[in-house]
Amino acid sequence: MRSLRARLLVWTVGGMALLVAVFGVVVYGVMRQSLNRSFNASLAGVARTIGATVKQEGGQVEAEFDDRDIPAFRHPKHPDYFELWGEGRRVVQRSASLGQKDLEWCEGDAGEPRFDDVRLPHGRDGRMVTLAFQVKADPEEQAKQGGLAPAPVTVTLAVARETAPLNADLEFLARLLASATAGAGLLALLVAAIVVRQGLAPLGALAGRIGAIREDNLATRIPLDGMPTEMEPIGRRLNDLLLRLEEVFRRERAFTADAAHELRTPLAGIRSTMEVALSRLRKPDEYQQALGDCLTITRQMQSMVDNLLALSRLEGGQTALQPEPVRLAELIEKCWGPLAAAVEARRIACRFDVPADLVCTADRANLARVLSNLLANAADYTDDGGRIEIVAIAACDAVGLKISNTGCRLSQDEVAHVFERFWRGDSARAATGVHCGLGLALVQRAVTAFGGTVDVGVAGGLFAVRVRLPAAKA
Amino acid sequence: MRVLVIEDYPPLQKAVAKGLREAGYAVDVTGDGEEGLWYATSNEYDVVVLDLMLPKMDGMTILKRLRAAGRPCHVLILTAKDTLADRVHGLDAGADDYLVKPFAFEELLARVRALARRAYCIKNPRLEVGDLRIETPTQRVWRGKEEARLTPREYVLLEYLAMRAGQVVSRTDIWEHVYEFNSEADSNVVDVYIGYLRKKLERPGRPPLIRTVRGRGYALGEGP
Repeated sequence: MRSLRARLLVWTVGGMALLVAVFGVVVYGVMRQSLNRSFNASLAGVARTIGATVKQEGGQVEAEFDDRDIPAFRHPKHPDYFELWGEGRRVVQRSASLGQKDLEWCEGDAGEPRFDDVRLPHGRDGRMVTLAFQVKADPEEQAKQGGLAPAPVTVTLAVARETAPLNADLEFLARLLASATAGAGLLALLVAAIVVRQGLAPLGALAGRIGAIREDNLATRIPLDGMPTEMEPIGRRLNDLLLRLEEVFRRERAFTADAAHELRTPLAGIRSTMEVALSRLRKPDEYQQALGDCLTITRQMQSMVDNLLALSRLEGGQTALQPEPVRLAELIEKCWGPLAAAVEARRIACRFDVPADLVCTADRANLARVLSNLLANAADYTDDGGRIEIVAIAACDAVGLKISNTGCRLSQDEVAHVFERFWRGDSARAATGVHCGLGLALVQRAVTAFGGTVDVGVAGGLFAVRVRLPAAKA
Repeated sequence: MRVLVIEDYPPLQKAVAKGLREAGYAVDVTGDGEEGLWYATSNEYDVVVLDLMLPKMDGMTILKRLRAAGRPCHVLILTAKDTLADRVHGLDAGADDYLVKPFAFEELLARVRALARRAYCIKNPRLEVGDLRIETPTQRVWRGKEEARLTPREYVLLEYLAMRAGQVVSRTDIWEHVYEFNSEADSNVVDVYIGYLRKKLERPGRPPLIRTVRGRGYALGEGP
């Protein structure tokens, strides 16, 4: 059962119905016992009254009791019956209601009345009390006659009454209780339905609020005031979730805006260069130069779009990395190749200290991208006549690579931002338009994806990037 | 007309400067915020084309400093920031116009022309002095019914004089507003170009169009 409402309703109403039913059964049992007991007591009372009138006179017993005087014995439909037996089950006396018929014989216990459910002479069900007792001769009578006291005579007295009225009463009681149970059940259903509906109303309200949250109103929060205590944690968690979502959406929007912004400037460069070139007839070398300029910008844009795409794929987990053992020295040399001439021309001193046998585990293409970015940064930001150091060492289960360059003008505060997408230091802006602030962001995402770490530091104009990569498994 | 371009993206800086120069403007260029502010405060520019994201000092700061210093130059913000808030913010900070990258170069030229006109309180793009008629958008010049063929440099000098028609314009003014810094070492260039203009525009038997006011400069049309 998936509905909370149905579950609550079934359990509440079922539980209450069971309770009422048990209560009814108990009441019925108690009442039945009590009615039976009073029925028996009344029957025994009649028997004792009759028993008290039994006399012995010269060995002969007789009850001085005339049932015709008692209305109960004359009842036209359900008369009471009695029969008195002397010794040897000799019938001494019987009520008029019996006619010539006998009551069933039951052996009586001395002293204690015995109750039996019997079939009455008219074929109806009834209950009979049997009393067995001794009747002594009257001593005064004895004395008068001057005879010896005769031995006491044991007699058996039975009084019976039809049980139909009692059963009718019990049946009525049973019906009363059953209908009361059913009524209580229905009432419980109604009350439970109302209570459950009211109790679950805040859930509906919460669903409504959550349903109203769209991409453009993520700043809304679920009000916790007046929310039921049990639901407050849910509301709080939802608000936390909204906060995180809002932050992610804000970042994504900022990223899109930044990307558009960063693409607009080179686009404006290409468009203006072309429009100016086309504004009049020119000499071939002027066209050539304009085309060359456009080509340079296009290359920069291509590199930026490549980085953007690589970054987006890394962040979206869409890059299928293929970790393999990579000789670091070899790859560094390959990535350094295109930069070497420019660095040399600017009289920058370079020191490479990468052991040739150093092997790390990484995705080759992405590691190449990481190294190209880091080396290009170092090459472009080092001051003329400055110094670049590239050092790698093997730690126990990792390979540490440190690339540092002089001429850094970033402050400690600024360094904290270098991994943010599109963040650029002031000096980077002044550069040739090659750097758009994606390189280090890409480096960080890629190295993290390899299972490594990267951090940067700046001290006294020396900018250092430290990369830690997992070593190749032996 | 002298224009300052403050733009840090080298290819765009180059293209804008080239395009404006070819349209006859005297153009100074810098890619650095602090240098841009120094240029703008130490020279008389008719129009400043200003990027917002610049190294050392951002465009908004430059704009605010310029306005605080009371510089009357007309500022056109040229930026990739395109949101409504950015535009409003830029214009409210004292910019006269706002153009979003990438842009059509023609539009940039038209906007710079409009701002340059405004610098001399002129609304009509067609300037008329006597029977001299100048159409600034197309840079065509007529004397009476006859069109005069002018080189770009001759044209901008004439346009500057026409914008200040009736006033005496000193050589220094011409030097500062029409010709580029350091491009010509010889200050006689003004007189040379005045000579070219006279040759192409003066008609025998008519009162001179460009008068020389001895010791003060030149004046176009009727005036003091």
